[in-house]
Amino acid sequence: MTKDIFIGEISNNEEIQGNCFLMKVILPASFCDPQPGQFVMIRISGLYEPLLARPISIYSFSRGKDSCAIELLYSVVGKGTQILAGLISGSQVEIHGPLGRCFEIDEARKNIVFVAGGMGIAPLSLLTEHLCGDKCFSQSPMTFYLGAKTAKAVVGLDKLQKLCYNINVCTDDGTLGKKGLVTQAFQKDIKKYSPVNTAVYACGPKEMLKSLAKILRGSNFISQVSLEERMACGIGACLGCAVAVRDNKGALTYKRVCADGPVFNLREVIWQ
Amino acid sequence: MKTKTLINMAVNLGRIRLKNPVMTASGTFGYGEEYADYVDLNRIGAIVVKGLSLKPRFGNPPPRIMETAGGMLNAIGLQNIGVDAFIDEKLHFLQKFDVKVIANIYGETYAEYIKVAKKLSMAKGVHALEINVSCPNVKKGGISFGSDPKTAAQVTHKVKDATGLPVIVKLTPNVTDIAAIAQAVEKAGADAISLINTLAGMSVDLKKRMPHLKNIAGGLSGPAIKPVALRMVWQVVKRVSVPVIGIGGIMTAEDALEFLILGAKAVQIGTANFINPHATIDILEGIKNYLQSNKIKDINQIIGTFQP
Ligand SMILES: Cc1cc2nc3c(=O)[nH]c(=O)nc-3n(C[C@H](O)[C@H](O)[C@H](O)COP(=O)(O)OP(=O)(O)OC[C@H]3O[C@@H](n4cnc5c(N)ncnc54)[C@H](O)[C@@H]3O)c2cc1C
Ligand SMILES: Cc1cc2nc3c(=O)[nH]c(=O)nc-3n(C[C@H](O)[C@H](O)[C@H](O)COP(=O)(O)O)c2cc1C
Ligand code: FES
Repeated sequence: MTKDIFIGEISNNEEIQGNCFLMKVILPASFCDPQPGQFVMIRISGLYEPLLARPISIYSFSRGKDSCAIELLYSVVGKGTQILAGLISGSQVEIHGPLGRCFEIDEARKNIVFVAGGMGIAPLSLLTEHLCGDKCFSQSPMTFYLGAKTAKAVVGLDKLQKLCYNINVCTDDGTLGKKGLVTQAFQKDIKKYSPVNTAVYACGPKEMLKSLAKILRGSNFISQVSLEERMACGIGACLGCAVAVRDNKGALTYKRVCADGPVFNLREVIWQ
Repeated sequence: MKTKTLINMAVNLGRIRLKNPVMTASGTFGYGEEYADYVDLNRIGAIVVKGLSLKPRFGNPPPRIMETAGGMLNAIGLQNIGVDAFIDEKLHFLQKFDVKVIANIYGETYAEYIKVAKKLSMAKGVHALEINVSCPNVKKGGISFGSDPKTAAQVTHKVKDATGLPVIVKLTPNVTDIAAIAQAVEKAGADAISLINTLAGMSVDLKKRMPHLKNIAGGLSGPAIKPVALRMVWQVVKRVSVPVIGIGGIMTAEDALEFLILGAKAVQIGTANFINPHATIDILEGIKNYLQSNKIKDINQIIGTFQP
C-alpha cells in the first residue's frame, strides 16, 4: 500500500519564530518515503470540529530502524493551524499520506533555481535536500531566493544554509536581506541563467507565483510550482481543490491540486 | 475462542439486493478507483458514482469548498467526465469487483435525463440509476426539478420509461414538504427513494467581506446535517412504501443505525469518506458489532423498529 492514514505521535511541536511552528511526528515504518513536493493531510482523531484534515507539505523526512519521522513547518492562519499549534509532545495525530505528485527532476537541467515565499520554503527545502544527495546534481549550481514579509517571518534559513551556498533573502520591509519582493530579486539576476539548462522550482503565495509566471512568460525556462487550494479528501475524490489550467489545446479546464498536483508546470496554470 | 455467529447483512432495495446496507454517496467516492487503495470495494453494499451528465462539465471556479461548524459547504458545480467517458473509461474498473454499481445522473432538461439514462441502461455493469433531482431546470428558470412534486414526478416518469434498470430518486431537502415530493415520485414509479442531498448554505469571509465560495452559495454536508436528515427520512418512511435510503452526516456505525431504526433500508456514506477513507468498512463493521452484542441475527430485524 502506498498511502494510508497513520496514527502519528508528536515528538516536538514548537514555535520557532513568531506564529510559525515546526512539528515533528513519529510514524510507523510502513509510512512510505515521501518525495519532495508531496504533502500530508493532518487531523486530530475523533474531532468533528475542525472536521476536515489540513494539507501541509512535508518539510523533512527521516527513517529509523522501526519507525520514521516527518517534520512539518506551518504558520498559524486560522482555526485548524491554531489547534495544531496547541498540541504538546506525546499527542496523537492522524497523518494521511504521502499524497500528491512530486517535483519532477530533469537531469539535463543542471542549474537549479528555487523561489520561495513564506511557508513555500517547506517543500523546496526537502527538494534541495534531495538534490544535494543526488550524485547527478552534486556539482550543480543552486541558487535560492527566499522571500518573506519581514525578518521574523523568515524560517528554515539555518537548515537551508547547510545545503545551499547561494541564498538570497528578501523581505518586504527590508528587515532582513534585500528590501523588496523575492520575484524582483530573481528577475534582476535572470540574465545569469541560461533558460535551456535551468530548472526553476517555486512555492509561495498566489501573488508571488503570478508574478513569476509574468517574468517567465515567453521564455524557455521550465518552472514547476507547488500550488495551494482548500482541500477535503486529499485524494482526488471530492473535486474540491480545483485549479484552472490550460489543456493541450489551450482551453480552460480544472485539475485537482491534491491528485494532479500540487506540483504543476507554471506554464499550464491559468491565473484568475 | 469466541466464535462469531453469522449475521445476515443483506437487504433488498426493491429489485436490487445489496450484500449489506452500506453504500457510498454520490460525489464523495469519485468513481470508486480513488478509494480502491484504502478499502476492499467488494465489501461495500453499493457504490454510487459521481453525478453524470450528458456532456462533460468543468464545474465551478474555485474556491469550491469551505469548512463550517461540524460540516462543509461545497459548490463543485457537478464537474464530471460525462456519461460516455464514464462508460468507456471508468466502468470496466468497477466491473472487476463484486459490488453493485449505481450511476447517479442529472440533467438540465428532461431530454438530458432521458439520454443519460438510456446510455447507462445499454452499458454493462450498471445495476441501478439514482436520479439527482436537485439540479436546476433550465427551461423553468433554474428552479430545481426536485423542488416541485410535479416536476419531480415527471423526471421520474420519463427516466423510468427510458430504462429497465431500477430507479432511485434522490431528494433535495431544500423544499417545504419533502413527504409530498416523495409520494409524488413513488407514484411516478420510483423503485426507491434516497435522501437527503446537501442543504443550501453560505459562509462569509470577514477579511474580504464576501462569501468564501466563488459560487456564493453551496451545499452543506457532514455531521451538522444529520438531525435534519433523520427527521426528513422519518417524514418520508411514514408516507411511502418503497424502500428509503438514509443519507446525511453519517460518520459512525451509531449514526447509520439511527437511520436504520427509523426505517431506512440502507444508508449512504458521504463526507465521512473525506476524513476517513476507510469509513464505509468501519461503519459496516460497527453495525455488525452492534447487532452481535445485541444478539440480533439479521439486519432486517433492526430496520424500522421504531414505531411510535
Ligand atoms: C498542498 C498544500 C501544502 C501546504 N503546505 C503548507 C505548509 O507546509 N505550511 C503551511 O503553513 N501551510 C501549508 N499549506 C496551507 C495550509 O493548508 C493552510 O494554511 C491551512 O489549511 C489553514 O487551515 P486553518 O484552519 O488554520 O485556516 P482556516 O481557518 O481554514 O483559514 C484561514 C486562512 O487560510 C487560508 N487557507 C485555508 N486553507 C487553505 C489551503 N488549503 N490553501 C491555502 N490557503 C488556505 C484561508 O483562505 C484563510 O485566509 C498547504 C496547503 C496545500 C494545499
Ligand atoms: C463534494 C460533494 C459532492 C457531491 N456531489 C454530488 C453529486 O454529484 N450528486 C449527488 O446526487 N449528490 C452529491 N453530493 C451530495 C452527497 O451525495 C450527499 O447527499 C450529501 O453530502 C449528504 O451526505 P453527507 O453529509 O454524508 O455528506 C455531493 C456532496 C459533496 C460533499
Ligand atoms: S481535495 Fe478532494 S479532490 Fe482534491
